[in-house]
Amino acid sequence: MFKPFHYVEPKTLEEAIQVLSELGTKAKVLAGGTDLLVMMKRKVIYPEYIVCIKNIRELNYIKFDEESGFKIGALSTHSEIADSSIIRSKFDLLATACKKVGTPQIRNMGTIGGNICQAGPSQDTIPSLLALNAKLKLVGSGGERVIPIDRFFIAPFETVLEGKELLTEIQIPTPPLQSGGCYKWITKKSMVDETLVGVAVYIVADSFAEICGEIRIGLSSVAPTPFRARKAEEYLRGKKIDLLLLEQVAKVVSEETKPRSLADYRRKMTGVLLKRAVEESWEKIHRTVR
Amino acid sequence: MEKEKDDRVIGLVVNGRLYEIRIEPRMTLLEVLRDRLELTGTKSSCGVGSCGACTVLIDGKPVSACLTLAITVEGKNILTIEGLVKGTSLNPIQKAFIEHGAIQCGFCTPGMVMSAKALLDRNPRPTVSEIKEALEGNLCRCTGYIKIIDAVLAAAEEMKTAGDR
Repeated sequence: MFKPFHYVEPKTLEEAIQVLSELGTKAKVLAGGTDLLVMMKRKVIYPEYIVCIKNIRELNYIKFDEESGFKIGALSTHSEIADSSIIRSKFDLLATACKKVGTPQIRNMGTIGGNICQAGPSQDTIPSLLALNAKLKLVGSGGERVIPIDRFFIAPFETVLEGKELLTEIQIPTPPLQSGGCYKWITKKSMVDETLVGVAVYIVADSFAEICGEIRIGLSSVAPTPFRARKAEEYLRGKKIDLLLLEQVAKVVSEETKPRSLADYRRKMTGVLLKRAVEESWEKIHRTVR
Repeated sequence: MEKEKDDRVIGLVVNGRLYEIRIEPRMTLLEVLRDRLELTGTKSSCGVGSCGACTVLIDGKPVSACLTLAITVEGKNILTIEGLVKGTSLNPIQKAFIEHGAIQCGFCTPGMVMSAKALLDRNPRPTVSEIKEALEGNLCRCTGYIKIIDAVLAAAEEMKTAGDR
C-alpha cells in the first residue's frame, strides 16, 4: 500500500492552478496515473500532496481547424488520440506513437500531457511531437506561456515546468500540402516493450514533390532527453532523396546521438530507422500527390 | 478551495450496485475491490499495469485497477468479472473459455475475459489480428494464447447468433 498522502481534487483548471500555486513542489499532479503511481510503487517518490486533475473535462479535447491547426487538451488519453479519425488522417505518426504506448489498459488511462511531462528519455509521443513542431501551452498563477516542445526538456525526467504550472494544451500547426511523416522504433525486451530507439520524421516536399523542402527529425531513447536531430535535418534539407543520400545521413544522425547503454547498436539503429522513416514519409507524400 | 480530509466516504458503482465505503485516498481500486468489497475475481499480479491481471472495465473501457486510485473513479461504472454472471448463467465469453481449454491456472483469465468483453462490445466481429491487439495487455504464462484467441472467436460467433450481449 502507498504511504499516506493528502489528496486534492480541483474541479476546474482555475482551481487546479490555485491549488498548485499554494502547494508548489509539495504536490504531484495526477492525471492518468500510469507513470506517477508506478514511481510511487517503486518508491522513487513519496508525494506529500496529490492533486488529481483527471476529471477536469475542460482539458480533454481534440480540436482542429485549417487555420489554427490542432489543439489537443493535455488530458486526452493515448487511446483517444490513436483512435481519432482527424488525427489519423492529418498526422498519423502521432496516432501511431500513441497506439504504441504501453498496453490497451494503459492507453485508456494515460494522457498525452502526462507522457510529455514525465519527460523520460524514451517517451513515445515526444519524437512525433518534435517532428510536428508542436508547441506546449503552460498555465500558472502568473499567466500562460506557449513554448516549442524542443525547449521543454532539461534532463531526464526534468522539464521547464515550474512546480506551479500545468501543461494544458498541445498545439500543432495545420499540415501543409505535400507533407507526410512517420514514426519508427525498436524496443527493449520488457513487458511493455519500452522503446530502445525512436525516430519520427516529418517532411514537407516542394511543389513537384521531388525535393525535400522542410524536414524535422525527432529522436528518443538515444540521449538524455528526446531531441531534434538538426545536423541530419540540415543534411537533407533542399535535397533530392536518393539511396546514397540516405546512407550518408544515416551516419550523420548516428553521430548526433549520445546513447548510454547498448551505444553501438543504438547509434546504428538510429541510422537504419531514419532511412526507413524518410522513405516511408516520402512514399506517403507521393501517394497523396497522385 | 477547501483542502480535503484524508479519509472519506465515497460511492463506488460496481457491477451496477452502489457501495458506500470509507476509504483513504491512497487505496487503489484493486485493493478496494479485493479487500473491502471482497470481489476477489480481479487479480493482483505485477502491480504496475503491465500484465493485465487486474483489468476491469470503467465506463466500458479496460483499465488496470492496480494503477487506479479508488477515489478517482467515484460515480463511474465499474464492471468486474463478477459482473458478467447473470444469476447462475455464465457469460458466453466465460463459457467459451471453458469449452476451448483457454484456462489452465486461471490467474490471467478474469483480466483476459474483461478485455475480450470490451472488445466484443465495440467490435462484435473481430479478426484474429484485432483480438491479439485487444488482448496485448493481458499476459498468460500457461496457455500460449492460441486457445484464448479461439475462445474469443467462438464467443463472438455465439453472441452474434444468439443476438445476446
